[in-house]
Amino acid sequence: MLLLIAVILLAFAGLFIGSSHMTMRDSFGALFKKGNAAQVRILWNIRIPRILAAIIAGAGLSVSGLIMQTNLNNPMASPATLGVSNAAVFGANLSIIAFAGGFLSTGNNLNHYAVGANPYATSLVAFLFSTLSILVILGLCRLRSFQPDVVVLAGIAVGSVWTAATTILQFYATDVGLSAAVIWTFGDLGRAAYRTDLIMAVVVLAGALYFYAVSWRLNALLGGDAAAKSMGVNVELLRFSSMLAASLITAVCVSYLGIIGFVGIICPHVVKRLLGYDHRISIPASLLSGSILLLLADTLSRSIGNGSALPVGAITSLAGAPFFLAIIFSRKGE
Amino acid sequence: MLEINKLCFRYSRRSPFVLRDVDLVLADGEIGIILGKNGSGKTTLCKNVLGILKPVSGSLRFDGEDLIRMSRRERARRIAYVPQNIQFGALSVYDSILAGRISYFAYRAGKEDEEIVEKVLDDMGLTSFADRNVEELSGGERQKIAIARALVQEPRMLIFDEPTGNLDIANEQLILAEARRAAAEKHIGILISLHDLNQALEIGDRFFLIKNGRILYTGGKEVITEAAIREVFDAEVRIVEIDHKKIIINGGKIS
Repeated sequence: MLLLIAVILLAFAGLFIGSSHMTMRDSFGALFKKGNAAQVRILWNIRIPRILAAIIAGAGLSVSGLIMQTNLNNPMASPATLGVSNAAVFGANLSIIAFAGGFLSTGNNLNHYAVGANPYATSLVAFLFSTLSILVILGLCRLRSFQPDVVVLAGIAVGSVWTAATTILQFYATDVGLSAAVIWTFGDLGRAAYRTDLIMAVVVLAGALYFYAVSWRLNALLGGDAAAKSMGVNVELLRFSSMLAASLITAVCVSYLGIIGFVGIICPHVVKRLLGYDHRISIPASLLSGSILLLLADTLSRSIGNGSALPVGAITSLAGAPFFLAIIFSRKGE
Repeated sequence: MLEINKLCFRYSRRSPFVLRDVDLVLADGEIGIILGKNGSGKTTLCKNVLGILKPVSGSLRFDGEDLIRMSRRERARRIAYVPQNIQFGALSVYDSILAGRISYFAYRAGKEDEEIVEKVLDDMGLTSFADRNVEELSGGERQKIAIARALVQEPRMLIFDEPTGNLDIANEQLILAEARRAAAEKHIGILISLHDLNQALEIGDRFFLIKNGRILYTGGKEVITEAAIREVFDAEVRIVEIDHKKIIINGGKIS
């Protein structure tokens, strides 16, 4: 409950803080479509979709991380364990370098919005490749009935194939293509638009509802596969469907926003440390804490960038890592 | 009643058989003991009965119903498991036990589930533990929680895999007493894998002596003989009778 209030407060704070030197009063006016047209446009076309994206993607990445950690019984598992990010990066690179697909909307410059031919092409290709990667890995792991260590290793192997392919692509790229492709990989909430927010929201919400519905079965999984099976849980099906859902959430977020690291590792761990492992609590808490972290990071990235927003992916790691270390090494909650 | 007929199992097509033509019958209210060396197939047999592993051939029936074709959930309502290495994953004692009701409630625990958990907690004298985190408990206490979790499944049969492996003598006695009480009061069949022969003789009704995946001897206490133990365990022992109780003492050379 407290977390929910924090999300709402932060969302409002985010409305008023930005790199375009608007005063608080201007922002407030713009919210009700008063004030000058540019300010209204900044608020409604840039800040609000961006804040929504932070809430949705933060929640999605965080809960996906939690689900992967439970499923794989591995604290280092992250939303991208199945090679999702590497595949998305390859897809985006392919689109940008080879097909000169979608234009690059980094969101830092209003002009960019005017020139785009097809803003969704790159995201679409990225999403297709990450889905392909998920299906390849889950398909392979079916043969070994989803043993956690096999899944992790398969994820590393397939992920490295995508990375290698990306390297080869980049080797043949032009300077412009290369820089566009590299910039794409920086996680950037500035690419958010209402339509992408809606798509992400539907996927994240559907996934979160599913996870919450099976929270008792995930609890049973904490006690090991054999015990869960003996209690009547269909472990293979649960693993397959929850990892698929978690990876799809990640694929959608990464495809639209680029790589936003660490949210999926730090939030679930902090939640588990402070509130315990029970999924009936840790699922909603991970969702909300993910939103909080990404909102904070985004607000920070827009206020310290002095004129342009820094990539939020870098901020989550920079700001998150010390906090994370403090939690791990503190004795509290043990 | 559990009936196992010509059960065979191996882990993959290229590996050797771990269980070969296992036949086993256990009636309700009986305590059956699987005895054998480490690696003889005891745990594998338990896991096959529980559906954690799937047999290659043979049949597994419970009260005439085919266990192999049964859904996990239906199976869990008939047979419950007290595993060898017990983990719960940092839940409270109450929630850990409530998890045993999954095969009944699926998504959300109802009033009835909670009543059953409270009754089992009360019966086993665990009520004061309910809010504690399982991670804080000792080995014996965790074993008791595992039994409680198995009992809330309201099973017709309980399977214990090496229940006394890591316990001190007081806890060993406690756990075996719980097993015996469950068999007598609830009239459910109990299958226990053990390697301590004296413990086995203390509580068992029927014995299944297993070596290299084959059951070599089946029957009451009369099958536990010096010759049988030499064959199954490759160990020399002497059996003496005190107060009409068989006691097994080490008869081999310890060098």
